[in-house]
Amino acid sequence: MSDAALDRQEPAARRRTARRRVPYPYTFYIPAGVIYAVMFLVPTIASFYFALTRWTLFDSHFIGFGNFVQFFREPFLVQGLVNTLIFGISTSALKVVLGLALAVLLTSRIPARGYLRAVIFFPVLVSFIGVGIIFVSLMHPTRGAINVTLETIGIDGPGWLTTPWLALYSVIIVDVWKGVGIATVIFIAGIASIPSDYYEAARIDGATKAQQFWRITLPLSRPATVTVITLSLIGGLRTFDLIWTMTGGGPGFSSDVVASIIYKQYQSGFYGLSTAGNVVLFLLIALVMVPLTTWMNRREIDI
Amino acid sequence: MSQTHTTFRAAEARRRWIGGAVAILVTGVVFVLPFLFALLQASKTQADASTLSFSWPTEWQLWSNLVAVIQVRDYQLLLAFFNSTVITVASVTGLVVFASMVGYILQRRQSRWNGLINFLVLAGLMIPPAVVPTIWLLQQLELFKTLHGMVLIEIAYNLSFSILLYRAFVATIPRELDEAARMDGAKPWQTFFRVIFPLLKPVTVTNIVVQSIAIFNDFVNPLYYLPGKDNVTVQLTLYNFQSQFETQYNLLFSNVLLVTIPPLIVFVFFNRQIVAGMTAGAVKG
Amino acid sequence: MADVTIRNLSKHYGAVEVMSDIDLDIRSGEFVVFVGPSGCGKSTLLRMISGLEEESGGSIEIDGRDVTGVEPSERGVAMVFQSYALYPHLTVAENIGFSLSLARVPKDEMRRKIEEAANILQLGPLLERKPKHLSGGQRQRVAIGRAIVRDPKVFLFDEPLSNLDAALRTQMRLELGELHQRLNTTMIYVTHDQVEAMTMADRIVVLNGGRIEQVGTPTELYRAPRSPFVAGFIGSPKMNLFEGPVAEAEGAEVLGLRPEHIVVDATGPWSGDVRLIEHLGAEAIAHVDTPEAGRVIIRLDGEAEVRTGDHVRLTPRPDRMHRFRAGQRLA
Repeated sequence: MSDAALDRQEPAARRRTARRRVPYPYTFYIPAGVIYAVMFLVPTIASFYFALTRWTLFDSHFIGFGNFVQFFREPFLVQGLVNTLIFGISTSALKVVLGLALAVLLTSRIPARGYLRAVIFFPVLVSFIGVGIIFVSLMHPTRGAINVTLETIGIDGPGWLTTPWLALYSVIIVDVWKGVGIATVIFIAGIASIPSDYYEAARIDGATKAQQFWRITLPLSRPATVTVITLSLIGGLRTFDLIWTMTGGGPGFSSDVVASIIYKQYQSGFYGLSTAGNVVLFLLIALVMVPLTTWMNRREIDI
Repeated sequence: MSQTHTTFRAAEARRRWIGGAVAILVTGVVFVLPFLFALLQASKTQADASTLSFSWPTEWQLWSNLVAVIQVRDYQLLLAFFNSTVITVASVTGLVVFASMVGYILQRRQSRWNGLINFLVLAGLMIPPAVVPTIWLLQQLELFKTLHGMVLIEIAYNLSFSILLYRAFVATIPRELDEAARMDGAKPWQTFFRVIFPLLKPVTVTNIVVQSIAIFNDFVNPLYYLPGKDNVTVQLTLYNFQSQFETQYNLLFSNVLLVTIPPLIVFVFFNRQIVAGMTAGAVKG
Repeated sequence: MADVTIRNLSKHYGAVEVMSDIDLDIRSGEFVVFVGPSGCGKSTLLRMISGLEEESGGSIEIDGRDVTGVEPSERGVAMVFQSYALYPHLTVAENIGFSLSLARVPKDEMRRKIEEAANILQLGPLLERKPKHLSGGQRQRVAIGRAIVRDPKVFLFDEPLSNLDAALRTQMRLELGELHQRLNTTMIYVTHDQVEAMTMADRIVVLNGGRIEQVGTPTELYRAPRSPFVAGFIGSPKMNLFEGPVAEAEGAEVLGLRPEHIVVDATGPWSGDVRLIEHLGAEAIAHVDTPEAGRVIIRLDGEAEVRTGDHVRLTPRPDRMHRFRAGQRLA
């Protein structure tokens, strides 16, 4: 090509030349970022201020740590804090143990696996309110099916939701019943992703079924375990729906959790106190989750 | 030799069948009976249902109970179904599009912002929403008690989980595909929407299933942000009926059945894909 | 007509310099192969030419146009990836036509171009299939088809045959050669396999540690390697590289001798025991331990009567010695 031809071609080429683009632009963050910032981040940050005020939504009056002092002085609020911890830890522990057991069962070669999987997952589909309504009826102290059944074998069933020390644990059982399906699915996915070579090698080495579980399944489904613990603990510490429909925090305040206290304070118009409850719940979750996740993630096993 | 082998196999098979039978029986009692109870309650007459007994209805009237529930309070349940559907569809659409975009960039572009963004994602997963300040803010924005305000809230609250699922799945898609598209002249948004997004389908299905069930069944957020009867959702109606139907258990349980139908349909359609999406998303996350 | 001219090109990640002062002229229509061990920078160099990797310094000209810092799709180059990178959700036709649909080329013109490319590559009957239903060789051809429809000035290949089995690799090597003859376009090809480089290239660029060691035709590199590295890298079995007294006797630090240039000869100056013989049919490779030069590898005729354990005498051919000092070839 002659120089003259090059010269003629040059300007046209220049015009349609795009400079290098950033292949992964930050603009992709914008829609999610804006919604997250406005709807979540701003209120969360604002809560740290409003928690220190007496607040009517129209004007707020700074009172320092008054709300927190009040929060911890009321015995039922402290009770709520303890209940929240009991609820979160016991539901997530039970979901891990039962979910793993069911997942092992459902990945073994037993008949009707599809049916069992569907049945265990089914409660996940029903709302907390629906589940609450069903179990409030079943747990009715005199007419409920549970106690009627117990009566036929000569046991005098307790008031599951009306006995102060028992109500929280009854709700815990129902929560596990509803949520174990999710845990099972996550564990099934985790077990399914373990290469079968490990089991074949173990069988050749003469490992029993129990040894295979303790030496292979359990350590290698660790990522699934971490996911189940994280999700169910966060969900458990923030629980509200089931408590609210089944006991309303009662009898008295015996089954109140922080989230139901927040709602009650909000209903009564104590907005500052309600927001302080929010901050307390936030701190509680951070105190539990931050060390726990750091510890769990440090001992990651790569497959 | 071969005979001991067969007897061993037969014993193994028998053990498996017994195990299966026990599993079916136990799960039947624990998981199926409560729903059977709800179904029977919903089929009874008012007097029959009020005994709460686990018994066959003296008179089947499931259909008339369902119709009656729908007619309550001037067909409020239909309005609730409409509202819940609008909220669910809009929120899940937003979640899928926006979270997949974030998950893609977050996985592909390593930069010093990643630490901050990962922190915000985890914060969104863990921190309980500050309810009253959010109401205050929604009032300022004139979004309080509105459906679109509710949609934005649902997106904001559920973003983190979706982003985590998407980020983990994007890691399984080779980067050479992005580069091939770039060589072919695709702009970044074309690379994403024409090449990457279609390949995210398994985890998108998981997202749709998990999030649509969660949002359709959400109770606490509509309770706070959608008070009043203009924009009721199905769970709010169910909650409100709980006190109204104190003596009409047959209608209350009919209501439970009705609001469980949409999640059930979603589950029946996508049942088999749920585990697939979880494998990449939640387990290796 | 598309020369590629590279001047002073460098690449660093943060403070780590991986490539510096690269100068290279590729002539229009040439088939050039970049070869070197893994981590030598051959892929980085190719990716900088493609635009996928940003240039840290220096310039790249394609067809007389400075394309430094230009978006990859605007450089007039097309690339075939190691994993083929076919879009799994699109059919073969859609894969090939993807760039055209992005450029909003009219439907009938698009179809014509796709069919044209499919004809060249014998993909006609596969156009409606998805990539997962294709064999490795077919996928390879689709990836090439995707490059052809863009009518590029320069084709870039990033180890395109490394995922194929040996037989298919030989066949695809021939097909690529024919394609090059037919299209007569500049092609740049990256591989770590020196056999691939020798058989396909008009010219070979040997890279090592982020620098160009030598540029030349396969014969030039074989006959006159400029450094001990090139001497050892090109040719199989590897050239014998001797240090110590044997090299010093020839006035060099390193003395190179190809296995075929050491002959078994009853009067040879070196003597040793045959430790191992690899019989390849037409020829045999013998490993001989000598007190004079250490382990020596020699190439024998396939019918040579030499056995493991034999004591042999060897003569290095003086006219075929490669002498190196300070990493450079001595005249």
